[in-house]
Amino acid sequence: MKIGEIIKLLNAEVHYLHNNQSDAEIKSAAACDLLSDILARVHVPDLLLTGLNNAQAIRTCSVFGIKAVVIVRGRPIDQKLIDLAHEEEITLLSTKDSLFIASGKLFSKGIEDAFEPCE
Amino acid sequence: METKFDKTVEILFELKVADVMRKDIISIGPSDMMSQLKKTLQERRISGLPVVKGSNLVGVISIEDLIRWLSDGDADQRVEEVMSKNPQCLYADQPLIHAVKKFDQFGFGRFPVLDRESGKLVGIITRGVIINGTLKKLEKEYKEEEIRQYRASHFFGDISADQKKVTLKFKISGKDFDNAGKASTTMKKNLKRMGIQPDIIQRAAIASYEAEMNVVIYTNGGVMQYTITEDKLSLNVTDSGPGIDDIEKAMQPGYTTSESWVKELGFGAGMGLPNIKKCSDKMDLQSEVGKGTTLKIEILIGEDHEVK
Ligand SMILES: Nc1ncnc2c1ncn2[C@@H]1O[C@H](COP(=O)(O)OP(=O)(O)O)[C@@H](O)[C@H]1O
Ligand SMILES: [Mg+2]
Repeated sequence: MKIGEIIKLLNAEVHYLHNNQSDAEIKSAAACDLLSDILARVHVPDLLLTGLNNAQAIRTCSVFGIKAVVIVRGRPIDQKLIDLAHEEEITLLSTKDSLFIASGKLFSKGIEDAFEPCE
Repeated sequence: METKFDKTVEILFELKVADVMRKDIISIGPSDMMSQLKKTLQERRISGLPVVKGSNLVGVISIEDLIRWLSDGDADQRVEEVMSKNPQCLYADQPLIHAVKKFDQFGFGRFPVLDRESGKLVGIITRGVIINGTLKKLEKEYKEEEIRQYRASHFFGDISADQKKVTLKFKISGKDFDNAGKASTTMKKNLKRMGIQPDIIQRAAIASYEAEMNVVIYTNGGVMQYTITEDKLSLNVTDSGPGIDDIEKAMQPGYTTSESWVKELGFGAGMGLPNIKKCSDKMDLQSEVGKGTTLKIEILIGEDHEVK
């Protein structure tokens, strides 16, 4: 699925779109408020859905290699966060949908879960 | 927007091979004996040499050639009978990015550098001198940037590098959540630019980030020091307290002393230290209550150690 389609599907606000590429392909996603759990995974998702709206949400993407993040539940997005997304080249979106609804919408369109139990 | 990463790549295009190469060439003659080569490699602690006649390059000889010769048990021989002729070379006026590509392509430890016009040997280039030269230049750029934009100033600390290793130091401020993780993401970019394998970078970045978050969350600050040599990446994280009273317990998956504000950051599930261990080839955690904690990890860079 293209990031542009995800923006429409989640009625998302675009805070930073890396390279202005609305056709960047998203195949897999992870939905999580526990960043340590993301970092302990084997597979790197293309997209992170999270309720966190702090710098760690962006930095975790940068450290782990996740291209884009959607902040759910309409949580406010600080200018500082947008600047950081820019600096780290992570696409930053937000939606009013809950984590459950946003995940469900993406799942129903065939986005895969990047989770695979490691042990 | 120009990022720091773009800048570091830019440097590889800007710098010429001649800017960073070693000019104090240690060489050997084609008619010198293999026993002499053995002595030179041992004494100078190097792993290969250009073979030079007059000031013309006639071949290269490496420690592997020496080992092969030793294991064949042949009588003493002239270097020219064992050396590789027509070696791959670089020209002094080529941009450094060419050298990086050539190392990737051939996997050799060193390349002789020739003057394009005279064809004479003018220097030697190794991975170490490339990293060294690039980081020195990078440091300058960061310093200049700091004058205009002091935001960058407190995370990019000391850089020092010699022929064999590169050391980068970052100061970490306790409870500074806006900057928490900046050392690790900056380091990840540097490792990428150095051409380190992606899976090694991934493990290093994850371990580094969890370690950095612990320093920011639990302490009043500390120092993270990265050392990169040819065969491994070492990370040393030191803070000055409060220390951990039971290290064995702290290492257990799920063990945490974190309060709810830590969980609101996305951490504090007791997964940090176990994940650091999983990402490292070697881990050592020392702590004294009231004094501080030192975490040392190593990740091997050698080809055989790609995935654990
Ligand atoms: N640098 C440190 N200084 C003091 N305590 C630490 C430090 N690093 C870790 N700890 C302690 O070890 C526990 C486990 O750490 P970790 O595995 O990273 O999980 P978490 O940070 O999620 O609690 C922490 O809750 C904390 O009590
Ligand atoms: Mg932790």
